[in-house]
Amino acid sequence: MSQPSHDDHHDDHGHQSRFIQHHYDDAQHQFDSGKLGIWFFLVQEILFFSALFVAYILYRHHHPEIYAYAHHYLDVKWGAINTAVLIVSSLSAAWAVRCAQLAQRRGLIACLVITIVCALGFLGIKTIEYSHKVHEHILWGKYFDPCVASAGNHLLNKGNNCPGVKTSIVWDAKAGKAKSGCLEGDYDHNPDEAGVQGKCEVVEVVGANRRPIEACEEKAGGHGPAKFPCYELALNRHVCPAGPAAMVLYGDHGHHGGAIEVKCEAVPAPAAPADAFADPTHVPSTGERTFAQKKAKTKHELAHEFASGAPPEHTNMFFSIYFAMTGLHGIHVLVGVFIFIWLLWRAIRGDFTPDYFGPIDYAALYWHLVDLIWIFLFPLLYLIH
Amino acid sequence: MSAAVDTNASYLTATRGWKSWAYTLDHKRIGMMYLFGILGALLLGGAFALLVRAELWSPGHTIAGKDAYNKFFTLHGAVMVFLVIIPGLPAALGNMILPIQLGAPDVAFPKLNLTSFYLWVVGALLLLVAVFTGGLDTGWTFYTPYSLQTQTAVIPAVLGAFVLGFSSIFTGLNFLVTIHKFRPKAMGWFQMPLNLWALYSTALMQVLATPVLGITLLLLFVERFMHIGIFDPNLGGDPVLFQHFFWFYSHPAVYIMIVPAMGVISEIMTTFSRKPIFGYRFIAYSSIALALFSFLVWGHHMFVSGQSKLANMVFSALTFSVGIPSAIKVFNWVSTLYKGDIRLQTPMLYALSFLVMFTIGGLTGIFLAILSIDVQLHDTYFVVAHFHYVMMGSTLIAFVGALHYWWPKVTGKMYPERVARVAAVGVFIGFNLTFLPQFVMGSRGMPRRYWDYDPEFQIFHRLSTVGAFLLGVSLFGVVCYLMWSLKYGTKAPQNPWGGTTLEWDAPTPPTVFNFPEPPEIHELYNYDDLEELPEGGWVRKPSSGAKSSGGH
Repeated sequence: MSQPSHDDHHDDHGHQSRFIQHHYDDAQHQFDSGKLGIWFFLVQEILFFSALFVAYILYRHHHPEIYAYAHHYLDVKWGAINTAVLIVSSLSAAWAVRCAQLAQRRGLIACLVITIVCALGFLGIKTIEYSHKVHEHILWGKYFDPCVASAGNHLLNKGNNCPGVKTSIVWDAKAGKAKSGCLEGDYDHNPDEAGVQGKCEVVEVVGANRRPIEACEEKAGGHGPAKFPCYELALNRHVCPAGPAAMVLYGDHGHHGGAIEVKCEAVPAPAAPADAFADPTHVPSTGERTFAQKKAKTKHELAHEFASGAPPEHTNMFFSIYFAMTGLHGIHVLVGVFIFIWLLWRAIRGDFTPDYFGPIDYAALYWHLVDLIWIFLFPLLYLIH
Repeated sequence: MSAAVDTNASYLTATRGWKSWAYTLDHKRIGMMYLFGILGALLLGGAFALLVRAELWSPGHTIAGKDAYNKFFTLHGAVMVFLVIIPGLPAALGNMILPIQLGAPDVAFPKLNLTSFYLWVVGALLLLVAVFTGGLDTGWTFYTPYSLQTQTAVIPAVLGAFVLGFSSIFTGLNFLVTIHKFRPKAMGWFQMPLNLWALYSTALMQVLATPVLGITLLLLFVERFMHIGIFDPNLGGDPVLFQHFFWFYSHPAVYIMIVPAMGVISEIMTTFSRKPIFGYRFIAYSSIALALFSFLVWGHHMFVSGQSKLANMVFSALTFSVGIPSAIKVFNWVSTLYKGDIRLQTPMLYALSFLVMFTIGGLTGIFLAILSIDVQLHDTYFVVAHFHYVMMGSTLIAFVGALHYWWPKVTGKMYPERVARVAAVGVFIGFNLTFLPQFVMGSRGMPRRYWDYDPEFQIFHRLSTVGAFLLGVSLFGVVCYLMWSLKYGTKAPQNPWGGTTLEWDAPTPPTVFNFPEPPEIHELYNYDDLEELPEGGWVRKPSSGAKSSGGH
């Protein structure tokens, strides 16, 4: 209380902590009240996250293919390390409470420091993960744009508003040739500029927004400095029969430098599960899969789809939910860091005694909840598909 | 720190200077500051209401254009809901009275209490920023996708409501812990005044429901600011999801509004009938039942949103059942009045008004729970009239009645009784004149939130506008004479109404820690213990002494 009242009432113990507030009967009363208070606070924190879990469940139910596809973008290794880091920090937080109860000031300080270090480690790993995604434009909602090419990596299709040629070519920049993939989409017919067996069209391999993967000064419009030759791809239209179906012709625009055979092994993009009721004249036969029943794909099939197909429409929603959940969780971790730093300062100052250690206890409880929420997030986002 | 505080002085004068108020940890001072803020917000929200009603005097343009009109009704709703009605009873009156009724020196977490108050101030400032930087025209409900597209000040308004949500959560948390941990040994759960049961139930809802509003508003903010896409159909999101999230909070929110009002009415009914409350346990349990049931019925705001028929039927059935605890209370209040020695002072006038208007508001809510009827009446003035009868005709009326009931205790002054009665009658007539015609025109098809209307509705709108101004003048008059009484009112006796709950045993106004020494717990609602003094006020009879600690 702000009033510096005479301690004429309750000071029965000469060594009662000066942090026992005046309106409480004794230290136990204050501790119990604070404990009940922090539990109510944690309950409301759970409800605060609840809407995001509900959104996760709803989108997963309605669009399972998005989750099957998009989780490949997440690195389980980092997620698992983060999980271990948080569990260790929960242990050190609980240990800190014990040290405070036993008046072990040095142990208390050490445990608080470990907790803070682990929390910062968690945030550091999150920064690594996020920065990778920012670099690849694997972002939320409107900004999900994985077509941005980065040398040597998969060119993946954009799921939303993606102009230009959709391509699933896996390009090996070192070897200067395509490794696998398939071309689809509209392009000009130029049957005379062939080079391949059979009917073929000429097309340019471009990345997002029709920018060439590697700039070509001769290109009409001149996009950027020439570093590598341009490429043209000639292949059968509408792609992907069995056997060789494509040729990569490389060289300067208008000249051919050579041809590489590209084996087309792509599988069409995983579309939304066929809705058996979409066609009103269709009568599902016994055992036919309806909307709700999706045939489980093997890991190999899924990896294949990932490597060569277009992202399902609205894959951006997965990342909206991913960033919302991990972002909100990360904010709570950051707040926890500040709280523990404050407690560390107070512990160094010697504020905590066996009859007054409430703040450590309450902060540790908060920290356990933060850890628990991550333990839910990790499998939901990283593991299950 | 300065010299010690005189713990036997009135809390109002024990320490002086603006800092002693700005940094106070005394729940009574915090409650008083809340009260002034809330009354100010009431006048602001009321001004927007009068702008709405003035514009609707005639079809088409009367005093403002369509866009301005949209802002008037939105800001009226946002200010009233978030700044007045939700915080009103718990934060202002709850803060002032709860610890005293409990026999405690303060709430469990006084610093958190002050934090709650400053969060209210920050939220209010953010809403004011919204008012002055382009206003808001989405309706107080912020429905997507329009709230994602409008160029008005959605972001400050949403942030303001978010901050206000935390003010509410922390107040609720404080009250819950106080009631659990600061009740005297002799006051078990069923020896608590019903006002405390109501505040407990309200606090439960505040803690459990408000975080969902928090995350919803946060998502709306992130959606607008960063295009996360969760509510935007162009990006793959679902606008109806917003409605689900929003109403999951906002339905319990309306019970956060009404339950403390019911608690106050229980107190006033029993005191001014000089009779124990009828059905104490039923009223107590019904408060808790309302807290739980209120979470199950949010879909009744969304019957025409496109949700499934099954959902519609389930929510309709659950909404019928949520009317039952409220009805139980009404029956118990009426039974309390029966054969009571009824005193018609101002608090009782407001309580009787409440009884009439809550019955109307509650029953019309049941009408709206009927699916086939709601399809016709959704988004018409019928709904507007329904919720004004419960939010204003019930909650605000109870708030004003509670203000009069406890005014002598917290200020030490009596308000002018005769003027107050006139104002109470003005409020009652003005309110019903405003909103009864709205039931009629709603049932005849007048849509809500419309700036223009067919000439057939004009007479109803005009009656409504006249009523609104009468109501506004009366309420403004109430605020005026209450302020007047602070300086010129007569000194209040310790127990002007003969109440039996603990606050009437505290000094008037209370001392800094409420009671000079721990109070004796008397039998609840036992009016035989009190006798009336010729000069006004009541005292405990000398022979009635120690508490019968039986009765657990």
